[in-house]
Amino acid sequence: MTDFFNTYGNLMVLMVFNAMLGLSLYLPLMAGQLSLASPGFYALGGYIGAVFSTKVFQSSDGAFPVSYVLLEMLVGGLASGVLAIVVGIPALRLRGIYLALATIAFVEILRVLSLNLTITGGAIGIFGIPQPFNRPLKYLYIAGPLLLFSMFFMYRLERIRAGRALTAIREDELAAGAMGINPTYYKVLAFTLGAILAGMVGALSAHFLNTWNARQGTFDASITYLTFALIGGSRTFVGPVVGAMLLTALPELLRFLGGIDQLPQSVRDLFLNGRLIIFGLLIVLGTIFFPQGIITPRLWERRRRTKAVRPAESNL
Amino acid sequence: MTLTQFFQNVLNGLSIGSVYAIFALGYTLVFSILGIINFAHGSVFTLGAYFTYMLTGLAVGFNGILATTRLPFALPFILALLVGSGLAGLVGVLIERLAFRPLRKRGSDRLLSLVSSLGVAVVIVNLIQYLVGAEAYSYRSDPFGLGQPTVNFGTPERPIPVRSVQLVIFAVSVVILIVLTLIINRTRLGKALQAVAEDTVTARLLGINTDRLILFTFFVSGFLGGMAGTLVATSQSITGPYFGIAFGLKGLAVIVLGGLGNIPGAVVGGFVIGLAEAFVPSQYVAYKEAVAFALLFIILLIRPQGLLGRVQVQKV
Repeated sequence: MTDFFNTYGNLMVLMVFNAMLGLSLYLPLMAGQLSLASPGFYALGGYIGAVFSTKVFQSSDGAFPVSYVLLEMLVGGLASGVLAIVVGIPALRLRGIYLALATIAFVEILRVLSLNLTITGGAIGIFGIPQPFNRPLKYLYIAGPLLLFSMFFMYRLERIRAGRALTAIREDELAAGAMGINPTYYKVLAFTLGAILAGMVGALSAHFLNTWNARQGTFDASITYLTFALIGGSRTFVGPVVGAMLLTALPELLRFLGGIDQLPQSVRDLFLNGRLIIFGLLIVLGTIFFPQGIITPRLWERRRRTKAVRPAESNL
Repeated sequence: MTLTQFFQNVLNGLSIGSVYAIFALGYTLVFSILGIINFAHGSVFTLGAYFTYMLTGLAVGFNGILATTRLPFALPFILALLVGSGLAGLVGVLIERLAFRPLRKRGSDRLLSLVSSLGVAVVIVNLIQYLVGAEAYSYRSDPFGLGQPTVNFGTPERPIPVRSVQLVIFAVSVVILIVLTLIINRTRLGKALQAVAEDTVTARLLGINTDRLILFTFFVSGFLGGMAGTLVATSQSITGPYFGIAFGLKGLAVIVLGGLGNIPGAVVGGFVIGLAEAFVPSQYVAYKEAVAFALLFIILLIRPQGLLGRVQVQKV
């Protein structure tokens, strides 16, 4: 069992990180807004964590204090949130593909900036970021509760006024506006919440990865997070979490399949070296055959309906 | 800035701008008909460059499963350029059949076709890496057989040297632009294309075979993408399977600048961005990559319909 945790500790932490990044993209998607900006905020949070821990807090001997990591996550989240409000208010007037394109531009501009500024270490980036834990798996002490909290938060959000307003905007923005919902307010709110989460994960991830550079916030990452949400399912917060965990584990699964001796050499070779080809194919097939994603509310809706119908009838 | 530099910048800007234009036309043709962005276009650009490389009879490198193979024949460069672009066009057709048509027939959300085209891009990029490895490839030196590396536009005393390959790129792109304009405006096929772009359902009622026309559009789009890829590769080299990603993103800036789905707009946008990049002062050259995205972001905020676009009336 210890072996298992040593081998897959990294993977498990990544799965939890990615689940939160999937949620960060899912938040604006709740309001029907396709924003691909999450990697930008993730990169920003990471740079804040990296700069603070290597330049501001000169760490003494031993492990880096966990309280500082939490502080960095707080700062990373806040900075991302502020940037999200500044960018979001003008950008969220755009819809559909236009918003997606504007957020792609936002991520690219941040990437070019981080490649050229001195504080971000230019093309080399920042390395030697101190470790608060002696084993990768221990990052779950921070990441695990954060994911659980985010999921609880999402669970509540989907059931209160703000969450229902987001759903209303997704279904029909004009009608939602006519009902007295301020679409811009709620869209910026969802966008900002997603940015805060991405920024916090970024700050933690900088420690986990030990180095941070401009490759952390790229268009590729935007695609990956979007895939988490759409393959997992974009109608409930469970979707992006499950999607992120499955898709993050998939390359490892393929590596495992590639190690089975009974398979023909060419197939094993494809599993080992062509993992991303299979990943891409699954994205295409997933959109065609699971347009709603793997996890849909329908999975548990029937059970709830039988419970909910009776009180509704008694009101009539 | 001296007058010499000014002329050099203009000519270089026109040259790269013309490639942006033909590449972006590939995006915009598909968008004008289907209202979706084909995110696999950048990877078709890459494929086109590789196809031309193979067709000129050069051998594959040592990595990848096709290591050191070469075609049994070698085409002259111009012919290889045309055939390679044609093959890229066929890949475009394949993408339409496998990734777009199944979703269209199911009446899926347009965002899903965006995701499936991203999936195709992931497949193509990694397939290239799997087959021919990730190293850079260069064409034979002086592929067009020009003899001299630069052409002097000034007097012998005050030379204004411009790389001759840039001039050929400009010439080829302009020829392609003229041919395409003639096809769209003067032929029955082009008229049908415009009709479908205006209103798919009505065009079908009037007896236009829309499915065949969509296939044709994807062929032309792939052809233009592959051609642009080869042209860019002649002035630098094929930098690896990710060759087309940056160009693909920049193409998005071009089409938004000109107006999504607007064919003259894509040409104008291409030249505007090409010239804007050429005039970035040399001390800020590291920020050149951000110019297109900054323009994209600004234009989306102040004039989302693009420079030449029409304002779309919002329907309830």
